[in-house]
Amino acid sequence: MEREGTRTRQPLSWAASAAVGFVRSCVVLVVSMLVPAVWAAAAGLWMWWWGGNPWPAIAPVVWACVGTLALVRPICRMTRFLVAKWTGTVIPPGYRQAGPVMRMSTGYWWNGFSYERTSRDARRDQRMRLWWSDPATWRDLRFALIAPFTMGLVAAVPPAGVVAAVVGFGHPAPSMRLIGALGVVVAIAAAPYAWRPVRPVAVRFLRPSPAMALADRVDELTAQRADTTVAQAAEIRRIERDLHDGAQARMVALGMSLATVEKLMETDPDRAKALLREARAGATASLAELRDLVRGISPPLLTERGLVDAVRALALDSPLETAVSVDLGLRLDPPIESALYFGVAELLTNAAKHARATRAGISIARTDAGIVVDVADDGTGGAGARAGGGLDGLRRRLATFDGTLEITSPAGGPTHVRMVVPCESL
Amino acid sequence: MRIVVAEDLYLLRDGMVRLLEAYGHQVVATATTGPETLDVLLTQRPDVAVVDVRMPPTQSDEGLRAALDARRRVPGLPILILSQHVEQLYARELLADGTGGIGYFLKESVFDADQFVDALERVAGGGTAMDPAVIAKLLSSGTSNRRLERLTEREHDVLGLMAEGLSNQAIGQRLFLSESAISKHTTSIFGKLGITDDGNNNRRVLAVLTYLNNA
Repeated sequence: MEREGTRTRQPLSWAASAAVGFVRSCVVLVVSMLVPAVWAAAAGLWMWWWGGNPWPAIAPVVWACVGTLALVRPICRMTRFLVAKWTGTVIPPGYRQAGPVMRMSTGYWWNGFSYERTSRDARRDQRMRLWWSDPATWRDLRFALIAPFTMGLVAAVPPAGVVAAVVGFGHPAPSMRLIGALGVVVAIAAAPYAWRPVRPVAVRFLRPSPAMALADRVDELTAQRADTTVAQAAEIRRIERDLHDGAQARMVALGMSLATVEKLMETDPDRAKALLREARAGATASLAELRDLVRGISPPLLTERGLVDAVRALALDSPLETAVSVDLGLRLDPPIESALYFGVAELLTNAAKHARATRAGISIARTDAGIVVDVADDGTGGAGARAGGGLDGLRRRLATFDGTLEITSPAGGPTHVRMVVPCESL
Repeated sequence: MRIVVAEDLYLLRDGMVRLLEAYGHQVVATATTGPETLDVLLTQRPDVAVVDVRMPPTQSDEGLRAALDARRRVPGLPILILSQHVEQLYARELLADGTGGIGYFLKESVFDADQFVDALERVAGGGTAMDPAVIAKLLSSGTSNRRLERLTEREHDVLGLMAEGLSNQAIGQRLFLSESAISKHTTSIFGKLGITDDGNNNRRVLAVLTYLNNA
């Protein structure tokens, strides 16, 4: 039974892939042949209108050039879209982003390049200059010229086979019929494969050049550095405030109590005794507060035993029933350990406080991608990285190490968060 | 004395109230934010107020600004500013109007409760009370050092206590000297520094502090 099923299914699926392949080949052919089509049209016009005179050829050449330049970016966008849709390979476009267009106090508009009278002029000017100065434009142009001779040529095989079949079967001569039959065979055989060169060609010629990638990376790092500076300043202010309102204030209160006790000793010894007891409790509380503060800055266990044990301790302290599974023996760089530790702490707190979870699972593992820390809970979900929120802060902290934060938290739960930090140093 | 206490941290407010009550003073009102402090100061018109510098809503120098504001509306309203750190800048702002009845102390100065309550009473009486830490910083700054090197060690001590706002009699008690001996020292100090002394403690403090600040 099973064998028969696979036997019937195989030709069916093969036919389906041939049909899909044929359609895709046609699409690739059309997209890659747009530029040659423009030039062919210009040449045709020249032959037909001017009868092939050399001098008037300038006009159609100019039209063809303008048409090519206008078509280049749409062609590349389409190719990128098709590759992403068919193969799942995402090729970053890498175009330069337009800066803000601002109105100056003089009433003129500044677009980063020049002053214009109206915002529309400023935007148009900016678009032109960006287009002209963007290395991506020249990369696109190169791709549009290469595409017809690579992926276009290969994708042309199945449609060419069909054309041969139609022409061949239309003629009574047996040799022509043979060509027609050959065309059918070629079209069907080539269809599942003929569109495939689009991926390697696009990846090779459409990805951002090293210079563009470098420029993007510089932008990214600049933003990260600014983030880090802001986060650090905020952290230091938090510590100052915690000390000022916490331990420091408690010490002052303690001293005040003792001063009061000193005065009351003579007049009201009972009250003095009660105050002394309070003062002792205050001293204990201020010590606990200092300990919490220290733990919030740099947990002693993290320093002494590393990420794994610190996370285990965190799980023990958590109000949630928390399971920890670890596949990691080594110590990491202290800053990375610290970032991951506070990430786990934040996620556990969120799970208990906002998602009202009862259970949580933490797993720490080393994979090819780096260190992967998963935190899952059975809470009500709906977590997201809102700008300025805790998860957003966590994402920024991880970004400092090129790490990422993935949040899967549908409303109603459960929530699953994955932190990944690449780690070549181990 | 009728006293207002402005402090946002419960622990400290409570401790301060108990301490003042142990000394037989009456705390007529407390305040926990800057605007509330200003309001209470203007409606209660206490004999003296103890005000914390940092308070809500902004957690910046709300208390200090409330105090300055209140004194702008009621000149000479006696206020003692408490803080967990002392800054020359704040001291200058507080003393700027020259009307007296002002004090500026570190919170731990409260630990020596007798001296603290003394200072509070001095401020209530229109005098000036500066934390020794403020004065010590002033006296040890580089330029002060150079200009004060002509003073003897004893004169240096007297100058510091003068700047804190103590009267000749109080300085004498602190240094175990007679009032007339202190009087001789102050005359000598003023002579060496070129400041005139008209016998008014507030103006004297101001003169000394101005001298030190401009040094």
